[in-house]
Amino acid sequence: MGSFQFYKPKGVEDLLKMKAELGERGLILAGGSNLLVYIRNGIINEGTFLDVKNLKPLKGIDTSNGKITIGAGETIREILESAKLREKIPFFPDSMKEFANPLIRSKATIGGNAADASPAADTAPPLLVLDTETVIGSHRGERVIPIKEFFKGPKKTALKPDEVLLRFQFSVPEAGKGVFLKFGLRNGTAVSVTSLAAWLALDGGKAVDIRIALGGVAPTPVRAINAESALKGQKLNEESILTLSEEVEKDLRPISDVRGSTEYRKDLTVELLRRALRKLSGTEAAL
Amino acid sequence: MHEYKKSFSITVRVNGNEYKDRVPSHMTLLQFLKERLHFLGTKEGCSIGECGACTVIMDGKAVTSCLVLAVEADGSSIRTIEGEAKNGELTPLQKAFIEHGAVQCGFCTPGMIMSAQNLLDRNPHPSREDIVEAISGNLCRCTGYEQIIQAVQSVANGATKQNNLVGVKSVGGGGDTEGGQPGGKVSEHNSKSKTGGTL
Repeated sequence: MGSFQFYKPKGVEDLLKMKAELGERGLILAGGSNLLVYIRNGIINEGTFLDVKNLKPLKGIDTSNGKITIGAGETIREILESAKLREKIPFFPDSMKEFANPLIRSKATIGGNAADASPAADTAPPLLVLDTETVIGSHRGERVIPIKEFFKGPKKTALKPDEVLLRFQFSVPEAGKGVFLKFGLRNGTAVSVTSLAAWLALDGGKAVDIRIALGGVAPTPVRAINAESALKGQKLNEESILTLSEEVEKDLRPISDVRGSTEYRKDLTVELLRRALRKLSGTEAAL
Repeated sequence: MHEYKKSFSITVRVNGNEYKDRVPSHMTLLQFLKERLHFLGTKEGCSIGECGACTVIMDGKAVTSCLVLAVEADGSSIRTIEGEAKNGELTPLQKAFIEHGAVQCGFCTPGMIMSAQNLLDRNPHPSREDIVEAISGNLCRCTGYEQIIQAVQSVANGATKQNNLVGVKSVGGGGDTEGGQPGGKVSEHNSKSKTGGTL
Protein backbone atom coordinates (compact mmCIF):
# COMPACT_ATOMS: atom_id res chain seq x y z
CA MET A 1 0.00 0.00 0.00
CA GLY A 2 1.41 3.34 -1.02
CA SER A 3 1.23 6.72 0.55
CA PHE A 4 -2.09 8.53 0.72
CA GLN A 5 -3.36 11.72 2.25
CA PHE A 6 -6.89 12.93 2.68
CA TYR A 7 -8.40 16.37 2.30
CA LYS A 8 -11.97 17.60 2.37
CA PRO A 9 -12.26 20.77 0.27
CA LYS A 10 -14.42 23.51 1.82
CA GLY A 11 -15.96 24.56 -1.47
CA VAL A 12 -15.45 24.45 -5.23
CA GLU A 13 -12.84 27.21 -5.14
CA ASP A 14 -10.88 25.31 -2.54
CA LEU A 15 -11.24 22.09 -4.54
CA LEU A 16 -10.00 23.71 -7.77
CA LYS A 17 -7.09 25.32 -5.94
CA MET A 18 -6.10 21.94 -4.53
CA LYS A 19 -6.47 20.28 -7.92
CA ALA A 20 -4.26 22.96 -9.48
CA GLU A 21 -1.66 22.34 -6.83
CA LEU A 22 -1.80 18.53 -6.92
CA GLY A 23 -2.60 17.77 -10.58
CA GLU A 24 -2.79 14.02 -11.20
CA ARG A 25 -1.93 13.36 -7.56
CA GLY A 26 -5.23 14.94 -6.54
CA LEU A 27 -7.59 11.95 -6.47
CA ILE A 28 -11.22 13.03 -6.67
CA LEU A 29 -13.09 10.88 -4.17
CA ALA A 30 -16.82 10.91 -4.88
CA GLY A 31 -18.39 7.45 -4.64
CA GLY A 32 -15.01 5.75 -4.53
CA SER A 33 -16.35 2.69 -6.33
CA ASN A 34 -13.66 2.92 -9.01
CA LEU A 35 -10.93 4.75 -7.09
CA LEU A 36 -10.77 2.29 -4.21
CA VAL A 37 -10.59 -0.61 -6.66
CA TYR A 38 -7.66 1.01 -8.48
CA ILE A 39 -5.89 1.43 -5.16
CA ARG A 40 -6.64 -2.12 -4.12
CA ASN A 41 -5.29 -3.39 -7.45
CA GLY A 42 -2.15 -1.26 -7.22
CA ILE A 43 -2.99 0.87 -10.28
CA ILE A 44 -2.89 3.97 -8.07
CA ASN A 45 -0.48 3.86 -5.16
CA GLU A 46 -0.07 7.43 -4.01
CA GLY A 47 -1.92 10.71 -3.91
CA THR A 48 -4.26 12.89 -1.95
CA PHE A 49 -7.94 12.07 -1.73
CA LEU A 50 -10.01 15.15 -2.41
CA ASP A 51 -13.31 14.17 -0.83
CA VAL A 52 -16.06 15.89 -2.83
CA LYS A 53 -18.87 13.65 -1.61
CA ASN A 54 -20.81 16.29 0.23
CA LEU A 55 -19.62 19.28 -1.72
CA LYS A 56 -22.86 21.20 -2.36
CA PRO A 57 -21.98 22.79 -5.72
CA LEU A 58 -21.37 19.33 -7.20
CA LYS A 59 -24.78 18.12 -6.05
CA GLY A 60 -28.27 18.92 -7.16
CA ILE A 61 -30.70 18.29 -9.99
CA ASP A 62 -32.28 21.35 -11.57
CA THR A 63 -35.07 21.06 -14.13
CA SER A 64 -36.20 24.67 -14.33
CA ASN A 65 -35.73 26.92 -17.41
CA GLY A 66 -36.30 24.07 -19.86
CA LYS A 67 -32.85 22.71 -19.26
CA ILE A 68 -31.78 19.81 -17.06
CA THR A 69 -28.70 20.27 -14.93
CA ILE A 70 -27.27 17.39 -12.92
CA GLY A 71 -24.36 17.84 -10.51
CA ALA A 72 -21.42 15.51 -11.16
CA GLY A 73 -21.61 14.40 -7.52
CA GLU A 74 -25.19 13.10 -7.75
CA THR A 75 -25.28 9.40 -6.99
CA ILE A 76 -26.84 6.98 -9.44
CA ARG A 77 -29.45 6.23 -6.78
CA GLU A 78 -30.35 9.91 -6.39
CA ILE A 79 -30.88 10.16 -10.15
CA LEU A 80 -32.89 6.95 -10.25
CA GLU A 81 -35.13 8.20 -7.44
CA SER A 82 -35.43 11.82 -8.62
CA ALA A 83 -39.11 12.74 -9.01
CA LYS A 84 -38.15 15.94 -10.83
CA LEU A 85 -36.20 14.03 -13.49
CA ARG A 86 -38.88 11.38 -13.78
CA GLU A 87 -41.47 14.05 -14.49
CA LYS A 88 -39.42 15.75 -17.23
CA ILE A 89 -37.63 12.80 -18.84
CA PRO A 90 -38.37 9.34 -17.37
CA PHE A 91 -35.94 7.78 -19.84
CA PHE A 92 -32.98 9.17 -17.94
CA PRO A 93 -33.70 7.86 -14.42
CA ASP A 94 -35.03 4.62 -15.93
CA SER A 95 -31.73 4.01 -17.69
CA MET A 96 -29.99 4.05 -14.29
CA LYS A 97 -31.84 0.88 -13.31
CA GLU A 98 -29.27 -1.04 -15.31
CA PHE A 99 -26.35 0.42 -13.38
CA ALA A 100 -24.49 -2.19 -11.27
CA ASN A 101 -26.60 -2.97 -8.18
CA PRO A 102 -28.25 -1.12 -5.27
CA LEU A 103 -25.10 -1.30 -3.13
CA ILE A 104 -22.98 0.46 -5.74
CA ARG A 105 -25.76 2.81 -6.87
CA SER A 106 -25.94 4.32 -3.38
CA LYS A 107 -22.32 5.45 -3.68
CA ALA A 108 -21.28 5.73 -7.34
CA THR A 109 -21.79 9.12 -8.95
CA ILE A 110 -22.68 10.08 -12.50
CA GLY A 111 -19.60 12.29 -12.71
CA GLY A 112 -17.36 9.51 -11.47
CA ASN A 113 -18.77 7.05 -13.97
CA ALA A 114 -18.23 9.48 -16.87
CA ALA A 115 -14.78 10.66 -15.73
CA ASP A 116 -13.62 7.05 -15.36
CA ALA A 117 -14.22 6.84 -19.14
CA SER A 118 -14.72 3.13 -19.41
CA PRO A 119 -15.80 2.33 -23.00
CA ALA A 120 -18.67 0.44 -21.36
CA ALA A 121 -19.66 3.14 -18.84
CA ASP A 122 -23.39 2.76 -18.31
CA THR A 123 -24.19 6.44 -17.91
CA ALA A 124 -22.49 7.27 -21.22
CA PRO A 125 -25.02 6.10 -23.85
CA PRO A 126 -27.96 7.90 -22.18
CA LEU A 127 -25.85 11.07 -21.82
CA LEU A 128 -24.77 10.79 -25.47
CA VAL A 129 -28.27 10.47 -26.94
CA LEU A 130 -29.34 13.59 -25.08
CA ASP A 131 -26.46 15.63 -26.56
CA THR A 132 -25.34 16.41 -23.03
CA GLU A 133 -22.83 19.14 -22.33
CA THR A 134 -20.22 18.71 -19.62
CA VAL A 135 -19.23 21.68 -17.49
CA ILE A 136 -15.60 21.48 -16.46
CA GLY A 137 -13.97 23.67 -13.85
CA SER A 138 -10.43 24.66 -12.98
CA HIS A 139 -8.76 27.57 -11.20
CA ARG A 140 -8.69 29.19 -14.66
CA GLY A 141 -12.48 29.17 -14.92
CA GLU A 142 -15.23 27.02 -16.42
CA ARG A 143 -15.53 25.55 -19.89
CA VAL A 144 -18.33 23.61 -21.56
CA ILE A 145 -17.76 20.75 -23.98
CA PRO A 146 -20.14 18.24 -25.59
CA ILE A 147 -20.05 14.81 -23.98
CA LYS A 148 -18.89 13.20 -27.25
CA GLU A 149 -15.72 15.29 -27.07
CA PHE A 150 -15.31 14.47 -23.39
CA PHE A 151 -14.50 10.81 -24.04
CA LYS A 152 -11.05 10.50 -25.65
CA GLY A 153 -10.24 6.81 -25.34
CA PRO A 154 -10.33 3.94 -22.86
CA LYS A 155 -9.90 5.63 -19.45
CA LYS A 156 -9.04 8.92 -21.18
CA THR A 157 -11.08 12.10 -21.02
CA ALA A 158 -10.71 15.72 -22.06
CA LEU A 159 -10.03 16.62 -18.42
CA LYS A 160 -6.64 18.24 -17.85
CA PRO A 161 -4.76 17.37 -14.65
CA ASP A 162 -5.99 20.54 -12.93
CA GLU A 163 -9.62 20.18 -14.04
CA VAL A 164 -12.68 18.73 -12.34
CA LEU A 165 -15.97 17.66 -13.91
CA LEU A 166 -18.63 19.82 -12.24
CA ARG A 167 -22.00 19.10 -13.85
CA PHE A 168 -23.96 17.93 -16.88
CA GLN A 169 -26.62 19.85 -18.77
CA PHE A 170 -29.00 18.89 -21.54
CA SER A 171 -32.32 19.89 -23.03
CA VAL A 172 -35.28 17.56 -23.07
CA PRO A 173 -35.99 16.71 -26.73
CA GLU A 174 -39.23 18.24 -28.02
CA ALA A 175 -40.83 14.90 -28.81
CA GLY A 176 -40.24 11.20 -28.52
CA LYS A 177 -39.03 8.76 -25.94
CA GLY A 178 -35.92 6.84 -25.09
CA VAL A 179 -34.75 3.46 -23.94
CA PHE A 180 -31.52 2.02 -22.56
CA LEU A 181 -30.70 -1.64 -23.06
CA LYS A 182 -27.73 -3.39 -21.56
CA PHE A 183 -26.35 -6.83 -22.11
CA GLY A 184 -24.05 -8.03 -19.34
CA LEU A 185 -22.89 -11.45 -18.25
CA ARG A 186 -24.62 -11.19 -14.88
CA ASN A 187 -27.72 -9.28 -13.83
CA GLY A 188 -26.17 -7.40 -10.92
CA THR A 189 -22.83 -5.62 -11.10
CA ALA A 190 -21.81 -6.82 -14.56
CA VAL A 191 -19.73 -4.67 -16.85
CA SER A 192 -21.67 -4.26 -20.07
CA VAL A 193 -20.65 -6.44 -22.97
CA THR A 194 -22.67 -4.11 -25.13
CA SER A 195 -25.12 -1.38 -24.21
CA LEU A 196 -27.35 0.83 -26.30
CA ALA A 197 -29.40 3.93 -25.70
CA ALA A 198 -31.87 5.16 -28.31
CA TRP A 199 -34.19 8.12 -28.61
CA LEU A 200 -36.99 8.09 -31.17
CA ALA A 201 -39.67 10.55 -32.21
CA LEU A 202 -42.14 9.39 -34.83
CA ASP A 203 -44.28 11.48 -37.14
CA GLY A 204 -46.75 9.57 -39.29
CA GLY A 205 -44.83 6.36 -38.53
CA LYS A 206 -41.58 7.91 -39.76
CA ALA A 207 -38.50 8.42 -37.61
CA VAL A 208 -38.11 12.20 -37.48
CA ASP A 209 -35.71 12.24 -34.54
CA ILE A 210 -33.54 9.17 -34.12
CA ARG A 211 -30.48 9.07 -31.90
CA ILE A 212 -28.48 6.00 -30.99
CA ALA A 213 -25.50 5.65 -28.66
CA LEU A 214 -23.44 2.57 -27.90
CA GLY A 215 -21.28 1.36 -25.06
CA GLY A 216 -18.63 -1.37 -25.05
CA VAL A 217 -18.14 -1.57 -28.82
CA ALA A 218 -15.45 1.05 -29.50
CA PRO A 219 -12.57 2.68 -27.58
CA THR A 220 -15.07 5.20 -26.23
CA PRO A 221 -18.86 5.22 -25.90
CA VAL A 222 -20.06 6.49 -29.30
CA ARG A 223 -23.03 7.82 -31.23
CA ALA A 224 -24.05 5.44 -34.03
CA ILE A 225 -24.10 8.03 -36.79
CA ASN A 226 -24.37 5.52 -39.65
CA ALA A 227 -27.38 3.79 -38.14
CA GLU A 228 -28.94 7.15 -37.31
CA SER A 229 -28.71 8.42 -40.89
CA ALA A 230 -29.96 5.12 -42.31
CA LEU A 231 -33.03 5.25 -40.08
CA LYS A 232 -33.81 8.95 -40.25
CA GLY A 233 -37.00 9.65 -42.21
CA GLN A 234 -37.76 5.96 -42.62
CA LYS A 235 -41.07 4.34 -41.81
CA LEU A 236 -40.52 1.93 -38.96
CA ASN A 237 -42.05 -1.51 -39.19
CA GLU A 238 -40.72 -4.99 -38.49
CA GLU A 239 -39.21 -5.29 -41.96
CA SER A 240 -37.37 -1.96 -41.93
CA ILE A 241 -36.24 -2.48 -38.35
CA LEU A 242 -34.78 -5.89 -39.26
CA THR A 243 -32.77 -4.65 -42.24
CA LEU A 244 -31.85 -1.09 -41.27
CA SER A 245 -30.58 -2.13 -37.85
CA GLU A 246 -27.71 -3.92 -39.60
CA GLU A 247 -26.33 -0.50 -40.54
CA VAL A 248 -25.15 -0.14 -36.97
CA GLU A 249 -22.27 -2.53 -37.74
CA LYS A 250 -20.58 0.38 -39.54
CA ASP A 251 -20.50 2.28 -36.28
CA LEU A 252 -18.66 -0.42 -34.38
CA ARG A 253 -15.01 -0.91 -33.64
CA PRO A 254 -15.43 -3.64 -31.07
CA ILE A 255 -12.67 -5.46 -29.26
CA SER A 256 -12.49 -9.14 -28.39
CA ASP A 257 -12.08 -9.65 -24.69
CA VAL A 258 -13.03 -11.84 -21.79
CA ARG A 259 -16.65 -10.69 -22.06
CA GLY A 260 -17.16 -11.43 -25.71
CA SER A 261 -15.64 -11.66 -29.18
CA THR A 262 -15.83 -8.99 -31.86
CA GLU A 263 -18.36 -11.00 -33.84
CA TYR A 264 -20.49 -11.62 -30.78
CA ARG A 265 -20.55 -7.91 -29.95
CA LYS A 266 -21.59 -7.06 -33.53
CA ASP A 267 -24.50 -9.47 -33.53
CA LEU A 268 -25.50 -8.37 -30.07
CA THR A 269 -25.53 -4.69 -30.97
CA VAL A 270 -27.69 -5.25 -34.05
CA GLU A 271 -30.12 -7.24 -31.92
CA LEU A 272 -30.17 -4.62 -29.16
CA LEU A 273 -30.94 -1.93 -31.74
CA ARG A 274 -33.81 -4.00 -33.15
CA ARG A 275 -35.25 -4.47 -29.68
CA ALA A 276 -34.90 -0.78 -28.87
CA LEU A 277 -36.60 0.28 -32.11
CA ARG A 278 -39.45 -2.20 -31.66
CA LYS A 279 -39.99 -0.94 -28.16
CA LEU A 280 -39.88 2.74 -29.08
CA SER A 281 -41.99 2.41 -32.22
CA GLY A 282 -44.61 0.29 -30.47
CA THR A 283 -44.23 -2.58 -32.93
CA GLU A 284 -43.03 -4.91 -30.20
CA ALA A 285 -46.50 -6.22 -29.41
CA ALA A 286 -47.00 -7.40 -32.99
CA LEU A 287 -44.25 -9.98 -32.67
CA MET B 1 1.11 24.85 0.52
CA HIS B 2 -1.55 23.02 2.44
CA GLU B 3 -0.72 20.38 4.92
CA TYR B 4 -2.39 17.12 3.99
CA LYS B 5 -3.00 14.70 6.77
CA LYS B 6 -1.96 11.07 6.52
CA SER B 7 -4.09 9.89 9.41
CA PHE B 8 -7.34 11.04 10.87
CA SER B 9 -9.25 10.88 14.11
CA ILE B 10 -12.70 9.54 13.42
CA THR B 11 -15.83 8.92 15.42
CA VAL B 12 -18.17 6.26 14.13
CA ARG B 13 -21.33 4.82 15.65
CA VAL B 14 -21.52 1.07 15.16
CA ASN B 15 -24.69 -0.72 16.23
CA GLY B 16 -25.53 2.19 18.51
CA ASN B 17 -22.16 2.46 20.26
CA GLU B 18 -19.66 5.23 19.61
CA TYR B 19 -16.08 4.39 18.66
CA LYS B 20 -13.19 6.83 18.33
CA ASP B 21 -9.94 5.93 16.62
CA ARG B 22 -7.11 7.27 14.54
CA VAL B 23 -6.94 5.69 11.07
CA PRO B 24 -4.68 6.00 8.03
CA SER B 25 -6.24 7.79 5.03
CA HIS B 26 -6.48 4.70 2.88
CA MET B 27 -7.97 2.32 5.47
CA THR B 28 -11.35 1.02 4.34
CA LEU B 29 -14.42 0.90 6.54
CA LEU B 30 -14.26 -2.90 6.19
CA GLN B 31 -10.71 -2.99 7.56
CA PHE B 32 -11.68 -0.58 10.32
CA LEU B 33 -14.63 -2.73 11.40
CA LYS B 34 -12.70 -5.99 11.34
CA GLU B 35 -9.16 -5.06 12.32
CA ARG B 36 -9.73 -2.19 14.74
CA LEU B 37 -13.15 -2.88 16.22
CA HIS B 38 -13.05 -6.67 15.79
CA PHE B 39 -16.52 -6.95 14.31
CA LEU B 40 -15.68 -10.14 12.48
CA GLY B 41 -19.19 -10.95 11.26
CA THR B 42 -18.83 -8.70 8.22
CA LYS B 43 -16.95 -10.73 5.61
CA GLU B 44 -14.24 -9.78 3.17
CA GLY B 45 -14.84 -11.40 -0.21
CA CYS B 46 -13.54 -9.75 -3.36
CA SER B 47 -12.58 -6.36 -1.84
CA ILE B 48 -13.59 -4.61 -5.06
CA GLY B 49 -17.33 -4.21 -4.69
CA GLU B 50 -18.34 -7.21 -6.78
CA CYS B 51 -19.54 -9.76 -4.23
CA GLY B 52 -21.38 -7.91 -1.46
CA ALA B 53 -19.97 -10.06 1.38
CA CYS B 54 -18.90 -6.90 3.23
CA THR B 55 -22.30 -5.18 3.04
CA VAL B 56 -23.18 -2.98 6.01
CA ILE B 57 -25.86 -0.32 6.44
CA MET B 58 -24.36 3.16 6.53
CA ASP B 59 -26.69 6.00 7.48
CA GLY B 60 -29.64 3.94 6.34
CA LYS B 61 -28.18 2.76 3.04
CA ALA B 62 -26.68 -0.65 2.33
CA VAL B 63 -23.16 -0.26 0.96
CA THR B 64 -20.13 -2.44 0.33
CA SER B 65 -17.79 -1.47 3.16
CA CYS B 66 -14.72 -2.37 1.05
CA LEU B 67 -15.50 0.68 -1.11
CA VAL B 68 -15.84 3.14 1.75
CA LEU B 69 -12.85 4.74 3.43
CA ALA B 70 -12.89 4.75 7.21
CA VAL B 71 -12.35 8.53 7.13
CA GLU B 72 -15.46 8.87 4.97
CA ALA B 73 -17.43 7.10 7.69
CA ASP B 74 -16.46 9.77 10.24
CA GLY B 75 -19.66 10.93 11.92
CA SER B 76 -21.80 8.23 10.38
CA SER B 77 -23.95 5.47 11.81
CA ILE B 78 -23.14 1.91 10.81
CA ARG B 79 -25.18 -1.26 11.27
CA THR B 80 -23.38 -4.58 11.02
CA ILE B 81 -24.67 -8.13 11.39
CA GLU B 82 -23.64 -8.14 15.07
CA GLY B 83 -26.20 -5.44 15.81
CA GLU B 84 -29.18 -7.33 14.39
CA ALA B 85 -30.00 -9.84 17.12
CA LYS B 86 -31.12 -8.16 20.35
CA ASN B 87 -30.49 -9.85 23.72
CA GLY B 88 -29.69 -13.11 22.01
CA GLU B 89 -32.96 -13.08 20.07
CA LEU B 90 -32.46 -13.35 16.31
CA THR B 91 -34.47 -11.00 14.09
CA PRO B 92 -37.42 -12.39 12.11
CA LEU B 93 -35.23 -12.21 8.99
CA GLN B 94 -32.39 -14.14 10.61
CA LYS B 95 -34.84 -16.78 11.82
CA ALA B 96 -36.36 -17.00 8.36
CA PHE B 97 -32.92 -17.59 6.84
CA ILE B 98 -32.44 -20.59 9.11
CA GLU B 99 -35.95 -21.93 8.55
CA HIS B 100 -35.69 -21.68 4.79
CA GLY B 101 -32.25 -23.23 4.41
CA ALA B 102 -31.02 -19.88 3.11
CA VAL B 103 -27.70 -20.43 4.89
CA GLN B 104 -25.28 -23.02 3.63
CA CYS B 105 -21.59 -22.14 3.84
CA GLY B 106 -22.64 -18.87 5.46
CA PHE B 107 -20.04 -16.59 3.94
CA CYS B 108 -22.50 -14.41 2.06
CA THR B 109 -25.06 -14.46 4.88
CA PRO B 110 -24.09 -11.37 6.90
CA GLY B 111 -24.01 -9.22 3.76
CA MET B 112 -27.13 -10.83 2.36
CA ILE B 113 -29.03 -10.15 5.58
CA MET B 114 -27.92 -6.52 5.68
CA SER B 115 -29.08 -5.95 2.08
CA ALA B 116 -32.38 -7.73 2.69
CA GLN B 117 -32.98 -6.00 6.03
CA ASN B 118 -32.27 -2.63 4.43
CA LEU B 119 -34.97 -3.42 1.86
CA LEU B 120 -37.47 -4.49 4.53
CA ASP B 121 -36.77 -1.35 6.56
CA ARG B 122 -37.66 0.83 3.57
CA ASN B 123 -40.38 -1.40 2.16
CA PRO B 124 -41.94 -3.89 4.59
CA HIS B 125 -43.90 -5.62 1.83
CA PRO B 126 -41.60 -5.95 -1.17
CA SER B 127 -42.51 -7.94 -4.26
CA ARG B 128 -40.38 -10.84 -5.40
CA GLU B 129 -38.83 -8.51 -8.01
CA ASP B 130 -37.97 -5.98 -5.29
CA ILE B 131 -36.23 -8.71 -3.31
CA VAL B 132 -34.26 -10.02 -6.28
CA GLU B 133 -33.21 -6.46 -7.09
CA ALA B 134 -32.23 -5.67 -3.50
CA ILE B 135 -29.89 -8.66 -3.23
CA SER B 136 -28.52 -8.38 -6.77
CA GLY B 137 -25.22 -7.03 -5.43
CA ASN B 138 -24.75 -10.00 -3.11
CA LEU B 139 -23.29 -13.18 -4.53
CA CYS B 140 -24.21 -16.57 -3.08
CA ARG B 141 -22.50 -19.62 -4.53
CA CYS B 142 -24.40 -22.23 -2.49
CA THR B 143 -28.13 -21.72 -2.37
CA GLY B 144 -29.00 -20.67 -5.89
CA TYR B 145 -30.79 -17.72 -4.23
CA GLU B 146 -34.23 -19.32 -4.18
CA GLN B 147 -34.17 -20.13 -0.45
CA ILE B 148 -32.90 -16.64 0.30
CA ILE B 149 -35.70 -15.05 -1.69
CA GLN B 150 -38.24 -17.28 0.06
CA ALA B 151 -36.81 -16.33 3.45
CA VAL B 152 -37.18 -12.61 2.74
CA GLN B 153 -40.64 -13.16 1.27
CA SER B 154 -41.78 -15.02 4.36
CA VAL B 155 -40.85 -12.04 6.54
CA ALA B 156 -42.54 -9.66 4.11
CA ASN B 157 -45.69 -11.77 4.24
CA GLY B 158 -45.53 -11.94 8.02
CA ALA B 159 -45.56 -15.75 7.96
CA THR B 160 -45.04 -17.26 11.37
CA LYS B 161 -42.03 -19.29 12.28
CA GLN B 162 -43.79 -22.57 12.99
CA ASN B 163 -45.93 -22.50 9.89
CA ASN B 164 -42.92 -22.12 7.71
CA LEU B 165 -40.73 -24.63 9.41
CA VAL B 166 -42.70 -27.60 8.15
CA GLY B 167 -43.54 -26.38 4.70
CA VAL B 168 -40.21 -24.98 3.76
CA LYS B 169 -37.92 -27.83 4.61
CA SER B 170 -39.56 -30.00 2.02
CA VAL B 171 -39.16 -27.27 -0.59
CA GLY B 172 -35.79 -25.74 -0.03
CA GLY B 173 -34.02 -27.48 2.81
CA GLY B 174 -33.77 -30.95 1.33
CA GLY B 175 -30.36 -31.45 2.82
CA ASP B 176 -31.68 -31.46 6.34
CA THR B 177 -34.74 -33.64 6.10
CA GLU B 178 -33.72 -36.14 3.50
CA GLY B 179 -30.24 -36.66 4.80
CA GLY B 180 -28.80 -35.93 1.38
CA GLN B 181 -26.03 -33.77 2.75
CA PRO B 182 -23.65 -34.07 5.63
CA GLY B 183 -24.46 -31.85 8.51
CA GLY B 184 -27.95 -32.88 9.41
CA LYS B 185 -29.02 -31.36 12.69
CA VAL B 186 -25.71 -29.69 13.24
CA SER B 187 -26.43 -27.37 10.34
CA GLU B 188 -29.13 -25.56 12.24
CA HIS B 189 -26.73 -24.77 15.04
CA ASN B 190 -24.21 -23.59 12.47
CA SER B 191 -26.83 -21.48 10.75
CA LYS B 192 -27.54 -19.62 13.96
CA SER B 193 -23.92 -18.64 14.35
CA LYS B 194 -23.66 -17.69 10.73
CA THR B 195 -26.78 -15.55 10.61
CA GLY B 196 -25.67 -13.86 13.81
CA GLY B 197 -22.19 -13.22 12.51
CA THR B 198 -20.49 -15.04 15.36
CA LEU B 199 -18.50 -17.51 13.28
